[in-house]
Amino acid sequence: MKNPFGTIPLADTEGLPPAEIALAPTSLPDAARALRTATDRRMEVLIWGGGNHQGYGHRVYPDVVLVTTSLNRVASWEPEDLTLVAEGGTPIARVEEMLAEHRQTTLLPHHSPTSTIGGVLAAGLSGYHRHRYGPSRDRLLETTVVTGDGRTVRSGGRVVKNVTGYDIPRLMVGALGRLGLIGAVCLKLVPTPSAAVTVTVDDPAAALAALYRPLAVLSTPQGHRAFLWGTRAEVESQAGRVGTEAESGHAWPPPPSGMTAWSLRVPPSRLPEAIGRLPRSWDYVAQHGVGMVECAADRFDLGPATELRGWAESVGGAMVLAGGPEALYRQVDPWGAPPAGLDYQRRLSAEFDPYRILNRGRLPGGI
Amino acid sequence: MVTALRDTGLRDELVRHLGADRVMDSPLERHLYAKDAGVYRGDPTLVVIIESTEEAVAVVKAARRHRVPVVARGAGTGLSAGAVPEVGGVVLVTTRMNRIEDIDVENRTAWVGPGVINLDLSQTTTPYGLHFAPDPSSQSACTVGGNIACNSGGPHCLAEGSTVNHVLALEVVTDIGEVLLLGGAAPDPIGLDLRGIMVGSEGTLGIVTRALVKLTPNPPDVRTLAVAFPTIEDAASTVSGIIAAGLIPAALEIMDQLMMKAIENWLHAGLPTQAGALLLAEVTGVTEAVEAEARIVTDIARSNHASSVQVATSPEQRAIMWKSRKSAFGAVAQAAPDYYLHDTVVPRTRLVEAMRMVYEIGERHGITMMNVFHAGDGNLHPLMAFDASRPGQLEKVKAAADELVQICVEQGGVLSGEHGIGMEKRHLMPLLFSEVDLDAQARLKEVFDADGVFNPGKVLPEGSRCFDFGRPVPKGAWV
Repeated sequence: MKNPFGTIPLADTEGLPPAEIALAPTSLPDAARALRTATDRRMEVLIWGGGNHQGYGHRVYPDVVLVTTSLNRVASWEPEDLTLVAEGGTPIARVEEMLAEHRQTTLLPHHSPTSTIGGVLAAGLSGYHRHRYGPSRDRLLETTVVTGDGRTVRSGGRVVKNVTGYDIPRLMVGALGRLGLIGAVCLKLVPTPSAAVTVTVDDPAAALAALYRPLAVLSTPQGHRAFLWGTRAEVESQAGRVGTEAESGHAWPPPPSGMTAWSLRVPPSRLPEAIGRLPRSWDYVAQHGVGMVECAADRFDLGPATELRGWAESVGGAMVLAGGPEALYRQVDPWGAPPAGLDYQRRLSAEFDPYRILNRGRLPGGI
Repeated sequence: MVTALRDTGLRDELVRHLGADRVMDSPLERHLYAKDAGVYRGDPTLVVIIESTEEAVAVVKAARRHRVPVVARGAGTGLSAGAVPEVGGVVLVTTRMNRIEDIDVENRTAWVGPGVINLDLSQTTTPYGLHFAPDPSSQSACTVGGNIACNSGGPHCLAEGSTVNHVLALEVVTDIGEVLLLGGAAPDPIGLDLRGIMVGSEGTLGIVTRALVKLTPNPPDVRTLAVAFPTIEDAASTVSGIIAAGLIPAALEIMDQLMMKAIENWLHAGLPTQAGALLLAEVTGVTEAVEAEARIVTDIARSNHASSVQVATSPEQRAIMWKSRKSAFGAVAQAAPDYYLHDTVVPRTRLVEAMRMVYEIGERHGITMMNVFHAGDGNLHPLMAFDASRPGQLEKVKAAADELVQICVEQGGVLSGEHGIGMEKRHLMPLLFSEVDLDAQARLKEVFDADGVFNPGKVLPEGSRCFDFGRPVPKGAWV
């Protein structure tokens, strides 16, 4: 069959799922052309950044894999304004290295060196700093999105405060590419303070209460730690309030490891109970004051997972599958009970992707 | 949606649901609800005061059946005519839905009605050491529902972000009268972020009847500094310098000399009216942090020719500093009977240049420009004092206002930082967005309100939804 995508470069990325063709557009017009062609031919497309967060959502069986990693230019960085404009496929690690020159950061999580800005935003992920700085969506100022039918839609603006039109950028966060490919973004940056300290604490709840807006208080099976940021005098005085064993810098825990990964989300006050309910064999990182527990198991453990999901949903939360073997996705809905307003969600996605070619069915309710 | 001018059927139906005293259509009542705090005026067909979600549902359903639009309204302190019933319709007033329920200290949240007054919420949660971070100048009158509609800001949004960062869940009445609960207290609700898109949508997508808001811990310590400068450029350079130094204070507000004089005339706060500009800077946090940050602010100010630095030494002194800032707009009455308060944003690196152009536009149009604004966010609020009773004055002011937006957009800015688009700026949307961009926004509006029940004509310019990308409506499209 003749390649209908003409001159758009083919992707040579390793580890891509099977598909008729894998493309790596190098410009937004190319990406728009690719999606228009896919729409015309009703070919289903999976968007692929660093491939680190593909475990979220229902499985997609694409005709085309669209790799974003050649959309990797930093268009502008205004250190004095604390804003950055970059293409969606730009690796976060590379951006962070650049920003460190002026002691600035995006705060986007990047456990893997291949994590892209667009991928992390599409998956709706936030770093461990969110207790103090809020989720990633609070720092997304502008998006340029290529819709399923190949329109290039810009919304938001390159200033830190803006109510000009509907907040489409925010809608893109956690949309898992169902509304379009995140072509470029403008992010609000955060200045990195001069001192960082990690304190081992006995009682995370007491630490959270004693500290004024710490960066994070995390629990893992190995223990509890508080993470502080600020001036030297500030972090030292804060550290002294909660623990004795303090080390300089932030020793962030690695993401929990295991065959299956879950994201347990509950109101913050329920977090200690959530930890208590985890099977003893599971690895986890729990964020106090946030209500997020990333966890991992070495086997399917569907029984305990289903039980946790039932409890989480009963307290207004969710238990979301974040990764695992293909077979697991056939046995369990990765999302659990669907949210309210599914009909509106369905219609919204239809406006951005009328032929339903983009990451089809990935969202809750099979949207 | 066609507006029935005097639809007695609708009136009777609403009286059955709400009682006669909460359905109003006398000339006086209609006049009172015809405008917000800005300069535009409409004419409501009916004004209804609702007290519950069920009543909101009943009003929406009835209005829809009678093909009459619904315009939600809080306290009417908005400035972009977002709550003005431009084409008539039912003005749905939420001020009596003012219950603060379930203050949850552990989760730092509260469920509130849309009619709760912003400042009441913060005062009610003070005993728990918490407050609602968005603090518009109108906070003693404006409602949380209005804040949500406009994604309101305020001085302290510099560090804490606008209203959208403080809304965890919304109960929304949709165009068909369905009640949706969007979001929740747990982080990252699954599916598309409908809660987020509702905030700042100016009542065009649904009626918010309850909100779960995030409360912010009160800081253990605070330093408020009033710094006087010979020129407004020096004050603006100081703000740019502070941000560039990697410091994000709790607030960075500038007022110019004219504004200071107007405020001082009635408040007698001891403002340095001989100075060209005043910078109000506030740093919050633990004592060690605020001391260090206050020193940095002072140093940067001194290097930008600050003539005096006054640090509030008591809560009362701090309160008067903030009162001078937040009461500024009331003080303008002495300068002229009317004012037009503008709201635009520029990148923070362009502050000095933007301010120069603001005064230049004022001079050219012969309009007095007074300024008090959220400098740390690059959020300008030029205030044009004028006399609307003089023919041609309002038109002149509007022309200058459009020019202001134009120069801000040329500097890389946007149309509005916190007041919204409403009727005021919809015609300027094409300055910032292409046909394709506006079409996408119009499609979004259609998803939630295909028949135009909610606040028709606001936010988007007419004709936004005409771009069809050169194709017919897709056949077999999945809807």
